[in-house]
Amino acid sequence: MKFDSIIVGGGIAGLICGIRCAAAGLKCTIISSGMSALHFASGSIDLLGRSPNGDIIYDPFSQLPTFIDQYPQHPYAKCGETVIAESLSFFTREIEEQSLQLCHNEQNNHFHLTTFGTLTPTYLSQQSVYSPELDRAFTESRKMALLDFEGFRDFHIPLVKANLPQHTLFKNREIITGTVPLTPLIESLKNPHEFRSIDISRMFETEKHLLQIAKSIDQLAGDGEIVGLPACVGFIKHNEVYSRLQKLTGRLIYEIPTLPPSILGMRLDHHLKSRFSELGGVFIAGDKVIGGKIQSGRLSEIYTQNHESTPLQADAFVLASGSFFSGGLISEFSGMKEPVFDLALSYEKDRKDWAADQFFQAESHPYLEFGVKTNEQLNPFDSSGQPIDNLYCAGALLAGYNPIREGSGGGVAISTGYYAAENIIKANAPIGAERHD
Amino acid sequence: MINLENISFDHCIKCTVCTVYCPVARVTHLYPGPKFSGPDTERLRIKNPALIDESLQYCNNCKRCEIVCPSDVHIADIIRLASLNSPKKEFKLRSLVLTSTDLIGKLATRMSTVVNGLMGLSVTRFLLGLFLGLASERALPKYASGTFRKWYLKQQHLQMAFQNRVVFFHGCYVNYNDPELGKSVLQVLNRLDTGVLITPEKCCGIPLISNNRITKAKSQARHNIDVLRKAVGETGMKIVLTSSSCCLALDHEYQNLLELDTTGIQGQVELLTKYLFERFAQLPDPGLKPIKLKAAYHAPCHLEHMGGVVYTVELLKKIPGLDLQVLHSECCGISGTYGFKAENYQISKDIGQNLFDQINTLQPDLVITDCETCKWQIEFNTTYKVVHPITLLAKAMKN
Repeated sequence: MKFDSIIVGGGIAGLICGIRCAAAGLKCTIISSGMSALHFASGSIDLLGRSPNGDIIYDPFSQLPTFIDQYPQHPYAKCGETVIAESLSFFTREIEEQSLQLCHNEQNNHFHLTTFGTLTPTYLSQQSVYSPELDRAFTESRKMALLDFEGFRDFHIPLVKANLPQHTLFKNREIITGTVPLTPLIESLKNPHEFRSIDISRMFETEKHLLQIAKSIDQLAGDGEIVGLPACVGFIKHNEVYSRLQKLTGRLIYEIPTLPPSILGMRLDHHLKSRFSELGGVFIAGDKVIGGKIQSGRLSEIYTQNHESTPLQADAFVLASGSFFSGGLISEFSGMKEPVFDLALSYEKDRKDWAADQFFQAESHPYLEFGVKTNEQLNPFDSSGQPIDNLYCAGALLAGYNPIREGSGGGVAISTGYYAAENIIKANAPIGAERHD
Repeated sequence: MINLENISFDHCIKCTVCTVYCPVARVTHLYPGPKFSGPDTERLRIKNPALIDESLQYCNNCKRCEIVCPSDVHIADIIRLASLNSPKKEFKLRSLVLTSTDLIGKLATRMSTVVNGLMGLSVTRFLLGLFLGLASERALPKYASGTFRKWYLKQQHLQMAFQNRVVFFHGCYVNYNDPELGKSVLQVLNRLDTGVLITPEKCCGIPLISNNRITKAKSQARHNIDVLRKAVGETGMKIVLTSSSCCLALDHEYQNLLELDTTGIQGQVELLTKYLFERFAQLPDPGLKPIKLKAAYHAPCHLEHMGGVVYTVELLKKIPGLDLQVLHSECCGISGTYGFKAENYQISKDIGQNLFDQINTLQPDLVITDCETCKWQIEFNTTYKVVHPITLLAKAMKN
């Protein structure tokens, strides 16, 4: 089967790349093995949260030029500021096309709360996490309610409450706490301790339960104008449920990310996939690419686990298979490798240099910067060092950046995925024009 | 003894993604979800297989958990094996009835008018519900008059004239319920210069596996492997199927679940739509006639699992004039014999509701799917007619 472009990996980088390709009229497929890291993510997009010495960055766009100069091998340096800015607006537009509202603080970062009650700088969030209304309310009002759900184990109020006063935003804030009862809503004998974020978000999506929950929230929140809740306010029907809940309670609902499965990240996953299909893209789930044919610097076809003997062909390919967690990179006792094409990697050969001495260390772990080496166009090199001209790499498998220390994971995934697509569209243009005649 | 070759459950990182996308856990709290029923409780069962939870029976074996798992855990296989190997086996007349597809099919096709008439009566359905525990609300599948095999044997000599040949594993549905689909298969393949052979096959065993009749499932699977292996021989012929679930049985369950030696047929088994897609690429354009209809395509779970959806869709796109709308992939809820059981009736309906809503919103002229039980479920729960992709293709290829 022949496509214009084939993308290996269905995470945020692969999806945004696929959407860009499909929007440009290319026949595009994404092959994905298992759900992506978005299910473990906060659902906010970090662009550049911390400077190399660990200071919080408030204005990422004004810092980018210096940052790029300082790290010429960084994926941001390859994309350039214009592409980074363009890719983020493209991402926002495409998500909003699916009616999920994303907000940013003009050119600046804002903060989102974590499951542990710490604050993290980020650039783009869903409106239930950051919006001008929430921003205003946090400045004007002193009172806030922080509620959780009966039996819910993936969010712990005492921990969050203990951490909050460390931040100026919450220091002198009066915080009312409470627990929304779920037992009265459960028809079966199920114990509410078995509920995970997904079960609770489905309760939010059921009208009769939503009415009950809203009533409980109203009673528990006292005169708190903002109500912080673990992010379970609806999954696919979030938009509808969110505005309805605000109306029913007459308060601003503020979502805080939970432990996985993270509904905030899953909403992005769902809407990106729907958008991709809407544009005519073919999403192949649950299959694994196991290799391909590379000859004189070009990849002509790939093979998957399900169809070993039936190759998939394309003019251009993108590898967005993620980092160690997603299986895009593999670490072994004697070294590291990229398992699909055995691409050249950038990493420290001595295993002792892979990790920092302490688990939580400000400068983070060196292995996070290991990954696939690419040229300026994001083309990787095969094991003999020859560049592969029609294969592009995007997202977490790239070398040269540390998503944890820099707070740049989402930004790199989106900008490199978008940049790879732009390069493909450019390279395909004359051939594409001929074909459509 | 722990079998160290089967410890994929140990790769589970407890992320709960499988439970998020489990269609059963979505609609009922009676099922704790694949994470709990699979990798979580497998640890206990390894110590003592009797530590089996009765909630396992709610798994409908759609295998969507395996598609979404980021850690490559064979969740559905773990759950199915735990049920199959459960020491607590009880005899159920219902299982016997639901799994004896060949016996019942043979009898029913001989007197189809009487059987179909009887099954259509609410009193029959009431009695089946009362004595067998079948869902009395549900319409039962209609039987054809005469089998596909009987018709085929009259054409057999014609098939030998083709140099390029395939073995067609027709399955119970084509043989007893829809011989017309089998006739379409011959029509389409013959037009593409391909002869069709059949073997003395038995039911693929999927219903037996789902109803925990492992000994019988294994013996039927062994029989099928033997006859198919003999038919394929050294020719390298493909074994093609119209039913996605039979295909899953031959291609996956025989080896992975029943642990049988599938040498000789492994790698030869293909869903017919994939075979045709490739055959089209080898031959000159056969010139399909336009079919001006709006069709909604539903991808069966088992086809999703095998990664075959893209081939069916691309094949259908070759039909000129066909306005093909691919539905968002959702389980229809029937899952073979699962939805026919009284205790699963409501669950099965609730699972499929999203899919039925999608179809109702779209208002297509017809619905297309590769799976016969999905067809029964959609036809029972909506007002739309459901056809197999090959039926439509045969129409576009008619002279």
